[in-house]
Amino acid sequence: MPRFQCTCSIAPPDLLAWLAVEGDPTQRLAAVRALATSAAIRSQRAVVGHLSRRLNINTGTMMGPELASGQRLSVYDNQKQGRPFLPGVLARDWGQPPVADVAVNQAYDGSNATYEFYQDVFQRDSLDGKGLELVSSVHYGVAFDNAFWDGSQMVYGDGSGRIFQVGGLTRSLDVIGHELTHGVTEFTAGLVYSKQSGALNESFSDVFGILVKQYSLKQAASESDWLIGEGTLVPSLGKALRSMINPGTANSGDRQPGSMAGYVDLPDNNDPRNDNGGVHINSGIPNRAFALAATALGGNAWETAGRIWYTVLTTQLSANAQFIDAANATVETAGKLFDSRVQDTVHNAWQQVGVLP
Amino acid sequence: MKVVIVRGGGVAGLTARTELDSGALPKSAAKTLAGELARANLDDVPEPPGTVSWPDAQLYEISVEGRERSITVHFTDESMPENVRLLMAWVDSRPERIESIE
Repeated sequence: MPRFQCTCSIAPPDLLAWLAVEGDPTQRLAAVRALATSAAIRSQRAVVGHLSRRLNINTGTMMGPELASGQRLSVYDNQKQGRPFLPGVLARDWGQPPVADVAVNQAYDGSNATYEFYQDVFQRDSLDGKGLELVSSVHYGVAFDNAFWDGSQMVYGDGSGRIFQVGGLTRSLDVIGHELTHGVTEFTAGLVYSKQSGALNESFSDVFGILVKQYSLKQAASESDWLIGEGTLVPSLGKALRSMINPGTANSGDRQPGSMAGYVDLPDNNDPRNDNGGVHINSGIPNRAFALAATALGGNAWETAGRIWYTVLTTQLSANAQFIDAANATVETAGKLFDSRVQDTVHNAWQQVGVLP
Repeated sequence: MKVVIVRGGGVAGLTARTELDSGALPKSAAKTLAGELARANLDDVPEPPGTVSWPDAQLYEISVEGRERSITVHFTDESMPENVRLLMAWVDSRPERIESIE
């Protein structure tokens, strides 16, 4: 049984959640504390996720009071039932040994590797920097060909076998790192998911997704394949979702440009062909800038280029930042954190993709 | 009557098209499709607000081209009505459907 089921009534937890968002400062704090300390609620994280869905708000909106549950992560089984059943049935709690379900273990291990990456490399305690529990639901919907961050938790479909391989969506560590980084972005720069700011949002997810993989494999920039989601698509479609070093070459439907000369100017108008104004298309440009900078700098990408991009994402960018803002901020930050050689290398990378003149 | 489902965005960023022509269906299945469409009530699917609060949520378009009238609606993983999800699951289950990547 799920911990909470959708009902049509306004139950007390809903009122608390409403107060947590809409109340005056005293009410907000009291409401969140009440939610957090309720004896009936073991995992406030799942509760906050559930309530934020019902109230149609993002967890980031409720920032301020701590959302930490004291445990790093948990994985739920949605049992193919979709949104009304999120998160689903607890399948593997933090600290528990592996279970028979491969997808559950992959979500567990991938979330854990992502947590360790952010903690070890950037001393960031989870997505919000305050120990937010990483909640994942696997087996979402029927033959569902997607994985996403819903503003409060990770959701993974099983794949239909027509676009994604069955089981493909939890297989790739960089895809898990990508999705969880959407959470980091939500709690920091808050990049608006439309056109250039949306393409930057996507690109930061690919950047830290690939860095989670490189860090986990202890792989230098020169050894990386720079592929996102390798082996997740059915082979007839292609080898990966995206190539950061050679955008546009990962699969047969890959429309990514590698420089501003190929920028695809699409409207953000709910048409699925337009991808929120090309957020998964034009992300190829900043992706390639990162891959070029990281390979030119050499060594471990998470120690140099990764540190620059992390500082920029978490401290330098506003929600409506454009490519030029990200370029200028990374160049400036490279000079502050390192030296003029690193700064010139980052500048050169953005020049090569046509963002800086 | 032709039903076309276009799915875009999502973590893959691919645009996938699924087409089902009721003329290709056995009579009983064509009747079921009409029932699924009636239950999905596409006339009442509101256009999404245009801001996605779930990164990597998929975007959807369903077009129904009938003899007398046609309709096109948009929605997202976030705003998808349950009966529309069931309609898509039914279309996806039919061997007569034609799928392509745009």
